[in-house]
Amino acid sequence: MTAVVRAEGLSKYYGRRRGLEDLTLDIQPGEIFGYLGPNGAGKTTTIRLLMDLIRPTGGRVRVLGAPPGEAAIRARIGYLPGDLVLEGRERARDYLAFLGRMRGGVPPGRVTELAERLDADLSLPMRKLSKGNRQKIGLIQAFMHEPEFVILDEPTSGLDPLVQQEFLAMVREVRASGRTVLMSSHVLAEVEHVSDRVGIVRSGRLVAVENVAALREKAVRRVELHFDAPVPREAFEGLPGVRDLRVEGAAVRCTIDGRPDALVKAAARFTVVHLVSAEPDLEEIFLTYYSEEGAHHDHQVPA
Amino acid sequence: MIIKYLRDNLRALAGWTVGLSAFLTMYLGIYASIKDDPATYSAQAMAKYPGALKDLMGGLQDIATGTGYLQTVVYQLIVPMLFVVCAMILANRAIAGPEEAGTLELVVTLPVERRRVVLERFAGLALGLLAVAAVTFVVVWGMTRQVGIDTPFGRLLAAHTGLYLLALFFGTLTLAVGAATGRKAAASAVLGVWAVLGYMVVTVGRGVDAVSWLRWVSPFHYYADGRPLYEGLPAGDYLVLAGATAVLALTAVLAFDRRDVGV
Repeated sequence: MTAVVRAEGLSKYYGRRRGLEDLTLDIQPGEIFGYLGPNGAGKTTTIRLLMDLIRPTGGRVRVLGAPPGEAAIRARIGYLPGDLVLEGRERARDYLAFLGRMRGGVPPGRVTELAERLDADLSLPMRKLSKGNRQKIGLIQAFMHEPEFVILDEPTSGLDPLVQQEFLAMVREVRASGRTVLMSSHVLAEVEHVSDRVGIVRSGRLVAVENVAALREKAVRRVELHFDAPVPREAFEGLPGVRDLRVEGAAVRCTIDGRPDALVKAAARFTVVHLVSAEPDLEEIFLTYYSEEGAHHDHQVPA
Repeated sequence: MIIKYLRDNLRALAGWTVGLSAFLTMYLGIYASIKDDPATYSAQAMAKYPGALKDLMGGLQDIATGTGYLQTVVYQLIVPMLFVVCAMILANRAIAGPEEAGTLELVVTLPVERRRVVLERFAGLALGLLAVAAVTFVVVWGMTRQVGIDTPFGRLLAAHTGLYLLALFFGTLTLAVGAATGRKAAASAVLGVWAVLGYMVVTVGRGVDAVSWLRWVSPFHYYADGRPLYEGLPAGDYLVLAGATAVLALTAVLAFDRRDVGV
């Protein structure tokens, strides 16, 4: 199976300014890849390299098996720029029709259907569109020709929560039909629920690629157990993965790294009346990556 | 894509066409009164402007003759400059303008070769300017018949063709600099300097040996030197203009194909 994206040692410098350094990454068909990092980390640089808007300083990249400069493959890609600009007196509907024609056609009714789902007004001249509406038009044009590969740079910016839900549904539909999505964000929470894998980029370098399920497993989890009678502290001390243990009468509070198995088995010897386990905080892991990396890279370069 | 470019610029094109036509109508209309008293107007014109300014306006010697008036008022300074500015504005809307605004991003990611993007916008520019030139030609032709300027049709067409080629040259220059740099300001600056110096060299600099050789790089030399209004189509000069335009268009295509967009 050909990788949808295959980057090897991909680098981009803007003069002496670093945009992206030595990116090696494969994205497989049918996956949703979340691309995370703070603003200026190199996310947009990566995406614009994939779209052939900018040319690499070093390394090589293939998109859908071809060099990005091959115009024909771009008909099979849907792209939402990070900073989408739509202007002029032209109505959104006419502009979408133009883009659709240039990409080799859009199934009839598809634009209207997407516009209804996202609640977008297609009859307004583009210069009159609000930020949110502009983003909706951007999403419609990225999805409308049912591309094999959808690349979205900060897709959720400017969308209200209801529309965000609809957008995530659209992303899942793309995966369900075996197609691929690459979406960037600086907020993990936006992508963690749909992504199969996330890549974390910082200061122009990809510092980690993680399976979201694996990331969850690594996640720090806060657990609170309540028993019907006070429990001895010794029963919970020294359990693998258990930290910050606090035993107060009939209540046990701790955080666990990884699997909660040992804790559950220890607790099973007593009568548990109440159990609270907070959702793993991926944001925290995310920040851990940053602080570790941040110690080594103090010179962050905006891109 | 050509049609899209023209439609996006329809207002600008229509505006320039109407404006230029009104300007031409008004100025050519005045000739009706000059014709009645050529001696006075000619003397006045000669007295009114100092030598250098007269050179700048192309001499003014025969302003009271029909063809002389047409040359001075239409084909000498103001109208060519207006055409050049019109070409500059249209050309800046092809690549550099949309790139600075950010709207080029989606266009470049369409499944279209970058070379084709530039070529089609060049074609759009050429067609747009052709429309402006065609309408204004009809206006000039109509007005000259109206006020009794009897320059033959062929000569008028030759002069107007020069106007079109001149505008297209400068428009393509703007397009090429814009395609290479992505900056409107850079494109406009190069055009401005080349156009003003080029014009000075063939008018006030004509008799100055130190600068007159520079006329070979002045588009105005090839535009005006053949005196198309008096002597008909200067095919060689016009071919130079057209050839230079083709070279610039090719430069635009190659430069845009190679560089990063929107950084």
